[in-house]
Amino acid sequence: MRRAPRPFSLPAVVAAALALALAAPGPAGAQGRFRRTPPIPDSFRELKLPDIESFPLPNGLTVAVTRRPGSPLVTIQVVIMAGESDSRQDLPYVASLTARMIGRGTNAMSSDDMERLIESIGGDFSAMVFMDYTVLTLHVLLEQLDRALDILRLMIVIPEFHEQDLATVRRNFFYDLQAREKDPESVGRRQLERVLFENHPYQTATQGKSRVSYITVKDVRAFFNKFYAPNNAVLVVSGDVDGATVARKVGRLLGPWARRDVVKTAIPPPPANDKKRVCFVDFPAAEDAVIYVGNLVMAPRSPDYYPFLVLNQVLGGTMNSRLFMNLRETKGVAYSAFSEVAFYRTCGVFWAKARVMPEAIRAAIGEIIREFQAFPSEKIEPAEIEEAKSFLIGQLPLRFETLEKYGDQLARVLALGLDAGHWARASDNLMQVNVEEVPAVARKYLAANPVVVIVGKKEWAGEALKDFGAVEMYDLSGAPQAILRQGVEK
Amino acid sequence: MNKTTRLLLTAVFLLSAWPLGGQARESVSPAWPFPVEEYRLRNGLRVILSADNSLPLVSVVLAYGAGAVREQPGQAGLAFLMENLMFQGSENVGPLQHVGYIQKTGGVVNAETTPDKTLYYQELPSNQLALALWLESDRMRSLLLSTRDRERRQDELLDEYRGRLGMEPYLESYALFDTLLYPDFAYGHPLIGTQGNLKALTDADVKGFHAAYYVPNNAVLSIAGDIQAARTKELVARYFDSIPPGEGVGPPPPPLFSQEGEVTRLLEDASLPSPGFHLGYRLSPLRPGDMYAMKILQYVLSRGKASRLYTRIMKKDLTAYYFGAILEERRGVEALKVFALNRDDVMAERCLKAVLSEFDKLKGSLISLEEMEKTLHLFKTDYIRQLTTNMDRALLLADAAFADIRVDALSSELDKYLKVNPQSLITLANRLFVPANRVVLNIRVR
Repeated sequence: MRRAPRPFSLPAVVAAALALALAAPGPAGAQGRFRRTPPIPDSFRELKLPDIESFPLPNGLTVAVTRRPGSPLVTIQVVIMAGESDSRQDLPYVASLTARMIGRGTNAMSSDDMERLIESIGGDFSAMVFMDYTVLTLHVLLEQLDRALDILRLMIVIPEFHEQDLATVRRNFFYDLQAREKDPESVGRRQLERVLFENHPYQTATQGKSRVSYITVKDVRAFFNKFYAPNNAVLVVSGDVDGATVARKVGRLLGPWARRDVVKTAIPPPPANDKKRVCFVDFPAAEDAVIYVGNLVMAPRSPDYYPFLVLNQVLGGTMNSRLFMNLRETKGVAYSAFSEVAFYRTCGVFWAKARVMPEAIRAAIGEIIREFQAFPSEKIEPAEIEEAKSFLIGQLPLRFETLEKYGDQLARVLALGLDAGHWARASDNLMQVNVEEVPAVARKYLAANPVVVIVGKKEWAGEALKDFGAVEMYDLSGAPQAILRQGVEK
Repeated sequence: MNKTTRLLLTAVFLLSAWPLGGQARESVSPAWPFPVEEYRLRNGLRVILSADNSLPLVSVVLAYGAGAVREQPGQAGLAFLMENLMFQGSENVGPLQHVGYIQKTGGVVNAETTPDKTLYYQELPSNQLALALWLESDRMRSLLLSTRDRERRQDELLDEYRGRLGMEPYLESYALFDTLLYPDFAYGHPLIGTQGNLKALTDADVKGFHAAYYVPNNAVLSIAGDIQAARTKELVARYFDSIPPGEGVGPPPPPLFSQEGEVTRLLEDASLPSPGFHLGYRLSPLRPGDMYAMKILQYVLSRGKASRLYTRIMKKDLTAYYFGAILEERRGVEALKVFALNRDDVMAERCLKAVLSEFDKLKGSLISLEEMEKTLHLFKTDYIRQLTTNMDRALLLADAAFADIRVDALSSELDKYLKVNPQSLITLANRLFVPANRVVLNIRVR
């Protein structure tokens, strides 16, 4: 039996030695001097990414080709510029169901036939729906490129949506959402975003599973007809291919995909939260509490983007970062404590996340908020900034290891409206972040009151949160249940 | 990379093993999609290098022939505990510093214990190759062990295991099934050991295991990515050449169990969410080359939504709501395993019958050319996809080295699968999918 790689959520005591160890070199015996200290790295080699060639087709479809010489595989991705936030608010997840219905047949071909067809070329098809966009991906051997493009034509130009297939898709999607409700971290993040996106289209993507069963073939067809148009899509091809040749092939096959008027309302950025909001989600099976403390930040096109990445890294990027070292190593109030940031087209969401014992909920929240508040004024050592930058720059190539990853990053650049050179210049942009910019973005984005979300057993809430004013209580589905004041239900 | 696939590839390599021979050997395979070079240090450490300079990344895998098959009765879980203790520090690297150093570069680090090996791996910016070699060499030559750390880690592993049981309620059924499928202690006991065993392991057990198996002549160092051969060899020599070899490390104990007919057992557990079953065929006796055809048979049965088992039990009969199949190898013992979950007992019985009938169909009629073509296309795509990253290649090369596969033979591996034909599949199915090789563990909620 092989187990999946651990993401190094190292258990309690293991990391306890980390701080100690970082400061304590081992004894030097009869060993070469070269063994006593870490070696000096060789000269740094910059990440060089292949160019992207773009070919606009008459029907509005853009074909973007990136050449990876020597690759025997090719990845074809159709990026639709509509995602979960484009689902109607009364029909959350219709975007997800529509994407999952792609590849389930045409008028002349059943879902089973389509699956056989894809597998007959050794293909692997998947659909991913994000907040702002959807990516349909087909991986095949290069020698199957022509057949793959033809299959893609069937999928997106002449699809048919059958009720029987939708029933299966609905059921599986419902189980997926149900599974997410068994993970306290998923529950916590969903609740955080649900509060941060109140009265905003993005909130659609944070709904519970209850309305999934009401989505009909008609709804799916309507979503498809509204957004799946060549002039609202980009076809990304990554592999050992010639751009002009691919564009010709795509033009021949997808030329008949008719242009349509796509009416999309521009989504404004949601305002950052500044109210004191504390939410407690009852998770009856919880053994520990999971805490999220977060707020909205800038969109990825902002000049504050790179300094904020560095801020996040210093604050909570790894086990060497401030949150982990303070909450776990110094105060001993958390098993783990990290911070993360996710970016959408119009904004970013930043949060600190900690897993704690029930009796440490109050102390852990206090420490996280103290770290947020202190960050703008506390001294940041240049070495701390450089270490964070080194991590972020070192990590960049890992994002491009495979054709899939490369295509995913390219899709993201296109869908979020980022500059085409976003990734090519990321290393330089990170390098230029200086010790003044990081506290400056902290003052800008960490000053407002963050939203606090706790996921745990509801009986933990009263005592732990009695000093927190009003505490909104929710059940696992996200439905509001009660308000606690001074730890007592009112 | 899909670890199951990697394991299966290794299975194939094992079955077609060549003796390594000689003290040092170098070879370059132009047909392999990436250049591969293999050599051996004076202390016996096998080193494999594979350069790919397309991204400034390097993967370093250090694999020891120190898996669960090396454990003695009463020591179950020792290899897994050892894996965890390897992060507790060495002469020049403090507890968890290994992780901290790699993370600071933006790299990733991990480890895994398997039946026959324990692997430590990291992927990091290529200019930091020396750092990974420094760290790995230090813990090979000088593991620090404190009783307190060891005891803490034992407690944490048991806590983690209890936590996993909550998330994966069928975990113990897998362990029970393995003891039925692989009755030898060395091959059938769970990697985590038993709670009593794991807790009883001592400093002496750990030190003895490290001294016996964490030695250069029982290890393979596999480096893939943005490397220059001369510089890499210089660094490898600097950090590893002076580490003394261990005493001779013998082969793991041979599997001793004999086939005594079909085994069927019942597991009743009221805490499980739903009934199901484990079905396995021990693949015995195996002949050279059988595993190529067996891999293709597994694809026919279970790879993709148009595969035979998926179509039958998930789409047509709807008797299962979950199923998985794996071709497994445990260094000398192999099995094809199926696991299914069903809504109720009746569905579980029907599902098992349906699965068995699909195995029988493989014995009764030739696979059509169309199905064969589909299967081989899927296999080829997967095979190539799981060689995509530096880490994929480094792990695969380490596996191959342990299976004593010559690196210059790797390039012809894919062809051996693609040459499998319907006749060889039906012959193999008739020889191996027989009741005497079958083990069934029925699971009922009561």
